[in-house]
Amino acid sequence: MKTILQAENVEKVYRVGSVDVAALRGVSLDLEEGEFLAIMGPSGCGKSTLLHLLGGLLTPSGGRIVLDGEDMTAASDAKRTDIRRRKIGFVFQRFNLFPTLTAEGNLRLAERIHAGGAGGAGGNNSERRREVLSLLKLEDKMHHKPLELSGGEQQRVALARAIVNRPAIILADEPTGNLDSENSAIVLNMFQEMNYRFNQTIIMITHNPEAAAMCRRIVQMRDGQIVAPNTGLQV
Amino acid sequence: MESLVANNIRQRPLRALVSIAGVALGVCLVMLFTGLSRGMSNDLQRRSSNLRAEIIFTRPGGMELTTSTANLSTKYADELLKVEGVAQAVPIIRYVFQGGRGFGFEQVEGVDWDAFAAMNEMRLVDGRAPSAVDEIVIDETKARNGNTGVGGSLALFGGKPYRIVGVYAPESGARVKMSLAAMQDALEAPGKCSYILVKTRDGIDPLAVVRRIESQPSTQGNKIQLTRDIITNIEKTIPYLGVFLRALVGLSAVVSGLVVMLAMYTTITERTREIGMLKALGASRGYIVSVIEREAFVISLLGLVAGFAVSFVAGYLINRAYGLLFEYGWRWALVAAAIGVGGGVLGALYPAVRAANLDPVNALAHE
Ligand SMILES: Nc1ncnc2c1ncn2[C@@H]1O[C@H](COP(=O)(O)OP(=O)(O)OP(=O)(O)O)[C@@H](O)[C@H]1O
Ligand SMILES: [Mg+2]
Repeated sequence: MKTILQAENVEKVYRVGSVDVAALRGVSLDLEEGEFLAIMGPSGCGKSTLLHLLGGLLTPSGGRIVLDGEDMTAASDAKRTDIRRRKIGFVFQRFNLFPTLTAEGNLRLAERIHAGGAGGAGGNNSERRREVLSLLKLEDKMHHKPLELSGGEQQRVALARAIVNRPAIILADEPTGNLDSENSAIVLNMFQEMNYRFNQTIIMITHNPEAAAMCRRIVQMRDGQIVAPNTGLQV
Repeated sequence: MESLVANNIRQRPLRALVSIAGVALGVCLVMLFTGLSRGMSNDLQRRSSNLRAEIIFTRPGGMELTTSTANLSTKYADELLKVEGVAQAVPIIRYVFQGGRGFGFEQVEGVDWDAFAAMNEMRLVDGRAPSAVDEIVIDETKARNGNTGVGGSLALFGGKPYRIVGVYAPESGARVKMSLAAMQDALEAPGKCSYILVKTRDGIDPLAVVRRIESQPSTQGNKIQLTRDIITNIEKTIPYLGVFLRALVGLSAVVSGLVVMLAMYTTITERTREIGMLKALGASRGYIVSVIEREAFVISLLGLVAGFAVSFVAGYLINRAYGLLFEYGWRWALVAAAIGVGGGVLGALYPAVRAANLDPVNALAHE
């Protein structure tokens, strides 16, 4: 199997005034293609920091991150942005859809950015888009704006937007954190479906043990470290 | 159209309108002022081109558009008549004052009507020539614009009423004329005038007459100009007009730039999280700059169109209300367009670059 992600001894120190806060103290993590990994741990243990580092939104203070064969640590800011464009799909707790665009518009914008154009062409991905929207049961919501959608529907649109460009990996930070249990279950099922249908590699941060239980592998973090490294709970 | 740019503008119609109005204001300023200056200067040219006199005799500095000096002795007229080739010499006082209704200059001339009319082939279409100290004649345009005529009255020199006793044509110089004596009386300048119009005899080269006058000892120390030279120079006779217009253009650019800058700045503050999401999606700095610049461009373009529209309507209305003439030229319209759009695009550059440089994690955490 192909290794999608390699993180070696990743460290992150935030500087607050003159005080250094060590958010990550040497995290190592390997991920194979098609894995669905849950990261759990108490608030403030560094889960989001890790996810932002893996997605190139932050630069590590130490260690190495290689994503799908590309070294993120050595890359410039522009290069990391480019890797993000080609290889990563983000899903956030606060759906972060573009409020002025319809569901379809949100997907098209992502496609356009993925295509690398500053506008104009793009959006010729209609087959893939239709497939994703249908799997996520969003066909009849295509022309709705985010405010006209329920939280669960918004998060499904966000997932569709993340997956429509076939990223190497989806990074989700508490995607069910803003949803009630019913919608959480629907969204989690969709994540699982994407993982199954497209062999989509996913990392998902969650506080919910039931959500974690749906993943193939779980890592526990504490104080900026992985405390149950790679053993995981097989479900 | 499913575009971030168009939808963002539609999302905040009031702010878009205010920014459009800001750009329009800058464009209007340029269009109205340059239109007015052109209109005034073309109007003056038309009026001076009706002068039949070939030569204008003044004291140095006496023939400026905005001066109202009466520093030339009327006795020179007699001296000029002695010069060979001179047919007529008519002294004139020109008085320029701030327009009675707000802005623009108004002029009054004091002339010996019969001599002036004979020299320049003017005729009275109504009434008679001015003679008493409180009598004036006006030209047809003035009568039409002011909706007045013989029997009406006009307030001059800060409120003093004058009776209109005649209407003349064609237009020439000041639209209001009184007798030379009345003007000398009003200005307390007996025996003085602003300049003397000189008409040469038929078939004689005016330039030769100019030379003869120049060599005359009795008229030394004065300025002798050909009427046609003064006409072509009229735009240059308004001091610092060019500088004023350039300053205005600069100010307009600053206004447009600042308004659009402020609008785009509030936009990116409001949409910080969206910009964070654009970054998470892998949008480059260039892409983010282009999104914001395109929005600014659309706003500037709309402002430009609004500015042109308002300029034309305002020009028409001001002309109807105050009789001021606006003439718009392509060159200034292009300058106004460059300023509206250029100012907007330049003003948006700072917010755009700022947005492109936002830290994605902080932007995504923004409330
Ligand atoms: N920008 C920052 N500046 C300084 N300290 C930060 C910053 N971001 C995070 N931290 C600190 O780093 C540590 C890890 O934060 P992080 O957000 O990764 O935690 P988390 O595990 O995602 O928590 P939660 O479950 O509450 O989301 C915390 O102690 C936090 O206070
Ligand atoms: Mg977190």
